[in-house]
Amino acid sequence: MRIGLILTSAILICGAFFTLMGAAYGLGGYLEDLGRGWNITGLGHLANIAIVMLVTVMVFSTLLTIADRKWGSFIQDRVGPNRARLPYLENSPLGGIPHILTDVFKMLTKEAFRPKNANKLLFALAPMLAFGPVFALFAVVPSGPTLKVFDYPVEMVSTNLDFGILYLFAIASLAVYGTSLAGWASNNKFALLGGVRASSQMISYEVALGLSLVGMMIAFSTVKLAGPDGISEMQMQYLWSTKVWGIDLGLPAWGIFIQPLGFLLFFAAAFAETKRPPFDAPEGESEIVGYFLEYSGMQFGMFMIAEYIEVVVLGGALVAIFFGGWALPFGNEALMGMAFMKAHPVLLGAIFGMVFWLKVLLIVYLQLVIRWTMPRFRYDQIQKLGWQILLPTGLVNLFVSGALILWDPSLRALALFGFVVIGIFGFLTLTPSRQVRREAEAAADHGGHGHAALPAHHDDHAALPANTH
Amino acid sequence: MAAAGDEYDPTPSEHELEAHLQTRNMVINLGPSHPATHGTVRLRIELDGETIVKMDTEIGFLHRGFQKSCENVTWTQVLPYTDRLDYTASLQNNFGYLTAVETLMGIEIPERANYIRVIGAELHRIASHLTTAGATALELGGFSPFLYAMEGRELVIDRVTELTGARLTTSYGRIGGLNRDLPEGWGDKVLKSLVKIEEVASEMDILLSRNRIFTDRTKGTGVITAEDALDFGFTGPCLRACGINYDIRKAKPYWAYDKLDFNVALGHNGDNFDRYYMRMLEITESVKIIRQCLRDIPEGPVTIDDWRIVLPPKEDVYNSIEGVIAHFKLVMEGVPVPVGEVYHSTESPNGELGWYLKSDGSGRPYKCHVRAPGFQILSAMGRLCEGRMLADLIPTFDTINMIGGEVEQ
Repeated sequence: MRIGLILTSAILICGAFFTLMGAAYGLGGYLEDLGRGWNITGLGHLANIAIVMLVTVMVFSTLLTIADRKWGSFIQDRVGPNRARLPYLENSPLGGIPHILTDVFKMLTKEAFRPKNANKLLFALAPMLAFGPVFALFAVVPSGPTLKVFDYPVEMVSTNLDFGILYLFAIASLAVYGTSLAGWASNNKFALLGGVRASSQMISYEVALGLSLVGMMIAFSTVKLAGPDGISEMQMQYLWSTKVWGIDLGLPAWGIFIQPLGFLLFFAAAFAETKRPPFDAPEGESEIVGYFLEYSGMQFGMFMIAEYIEVVVLGGALVAIFFGGWALPFGNEALMGMAFMKAHPVLLGAIFGMVFWLKVLLIVYLQLVIRWTMPRFRYDQIQKLGWQILLPTGLVNLFVSGALILWDPSLRALALFGFVVIGIFGFLTLTPSRQVRREAEAAADHGGHGHAALPAHHDDHAALPANTH
Repeated sequence: MAAAGDEYDPTPSEHELEAHLQTRNMVINLGPSHPATHGTVRLRIELDGETIVKMDTEIGFLHRGFQKSCENVTWTQVLPYTDRLDYTASLQNNFGYLTAVETLMGIEIPERANYIRVIGAELHRIASHLTTAGATALELGGFSPFLYAMEGRELVIDRVTELTGARLTTSYGRIGGLNRDLPEGWGDKVLKSLVKIEEVASEMDILLSRNRIFTDRTKGTGVITAEDALDFGFTGPCLRACGINYDIRKAKPYWAYDKLDFNVALGHNGDNFDRYYMRMLEITESVKIIRQCLRDIPEGPVTIDDWRIVLPPKEDVYNSIEGVIAHFKLVMEGVPVPVGEVYHSTESPNGELGWYLKSDGSGRPYKCHVRAPGFQILSAMGRLCEGRMLADLIPTFDTINMIGGEVEQ
């Protein structure tokens, strides 16, 4: 029963991604064809905007509002949201999905309250400013290969900019206006505190965020994200490879292998940018309630959905930069070389698109698990982590990576260094810390724990970001 | 916005650029209704940036005239009021009050009743500590450990419900013993629940005690020295976190504590982490105590056999004139407590729960004063938080475990 449910959901999710991406390619090819008739090229990008951004990302984020609560409740030994029911289906909770409808109705029908002395314009502008940039971030993330559909190439990215990663940084830093304006315009002291915390946190983490990607940029000597010469597709090249029965096997030059430290730093910094726990000091619902304290109705809904979109977009960016984008770990050449696939490019695109979204799903799941496991940082500890741990580590990573790339342009030395780093982190994570060992010894001495087993005040934790995540 | 703490110097400076910006401190209100103030308490906080300059704690939102109410009812009828003091551990209050009255009357209760009192009190100590540790995690953003704690607390409350018939307002026990014995098979159920509670507590321990974020948030925050703690009148886990070994269960053993083997958890930093960790360690000790009690509990009556103090059995009330008279006198006049006064204290989850009772022989308390441990600890909130960051207020407020019911009576 349980296995059947899991299989059904897995097939449903894969099928949905497959269908959506297939439709995107089909529509892209059709639009491109239509555009050529009017002498316009690149009309196929509209399909990406319409189906990938407006449908896939939005629906993903909307479902994520329920998935977040549902996964959280499973972690916490409870059932989770299951009260909202659809008419004629009163006996089945449908995994809590009807709650999306009730939430939307609730938010749309609630009064959009504005405090008396709030700044009218800024107050109304803030939710849009929080929502817009986050959504626009996805424009440069490629979710599939460039394929010839109906004789014309269709790119599965809204706009293929030469400065793709720089666009990510630029737009991500715009999001800070939404939160700080929300805090400022509300005319509320708690909201103001939240806005100040949010802006300082987001601005200081941008430094670490940018630095963490420089390693990837110099490894592939580009800041382009999409296209055959972009970071996403260049990760398909093999570090070591062999062929078995015509299928290419090997270790791809994925960012996670050649830049594990960069991945950790980027993940931590981007997580801080999303303002979700453990970096939710700007929200801090038990202390200052948050920068959106005075918002209600759909204005609050915009902040909330922006947060979930950010989760998806962060997943997409991570996959494109560190997990090989839409590519399979191996066998890409074999798959693309198949005559059947060449004849049916939409099918090929749908397969690769599905792979991309499944990777995103994995990253999103990781984010939710972290969100439900970790307590919140204090405001100054967030700054300390950003400036004193992430930034120096990023610099070290940058210098070591740069030297290794100079020494061995085939990136193999970099990958070996990456494995050493992964090994060190694995070792540190799996071995008990000094505190635990000392307590175990103390317990052995006393024949049981309890009395005076409290450890000394210790600052000798391994001061590594891996321990905090 | 008050202009308090305005340090702007209005004399014009030669170097205008080096002059201080005109700033003033921001005053915010945490509470009376705020997510961090469980119970209702108002914290008026003066902030310089994120640093707390001054903090006033204002209580009284839950005041309900406990002491005056007690003076108008018989000694037995005070019992339901005591439920509402520390509502996370009502059995502690019930038994503490009853023991104080029994001390005033100079009576000894049967050994079995003593053991049952220990079991009930320790069960509620576990519930209270789980709630405190869980709420600390919750307000630091760790929602999962809180719900694990609630799972353990629910088990305790289920067992207490089977014992007393109520989830929170237990009103269990009577002067001279207990109103009813343990239910059939209850001990085995408790033992099963204890296994689960240990599991839950260790899960919380794994998620919190070694969590770098949690330890960073709690270690070195809300620190109080042992001398200051004594001056403020700290007791219980908050005092022991400073390294002072004072536990009334050991210092002045009551009930059956002198026959039981348990340790007193001691910290030495007096910070939030130690206060939290004391509670985690005390859960383990309480589990140990309950196991010993359930193993060693003697058979026998649960009340003394004196109809002037405890209600006679129903068949005697219906069938004998002595029974009817005893019942009538007890219900109408109350327990005859001799003239005198007493101070007796027990170790409640938060510290020393003391009762100052005075009787004028009328059947009702002449004076019934409670030394609630939370009051003294709450009074130190300003000392604990001033000069610290606003975010540190949250774990500090949680680990001192202010309970509105007992602080404001």
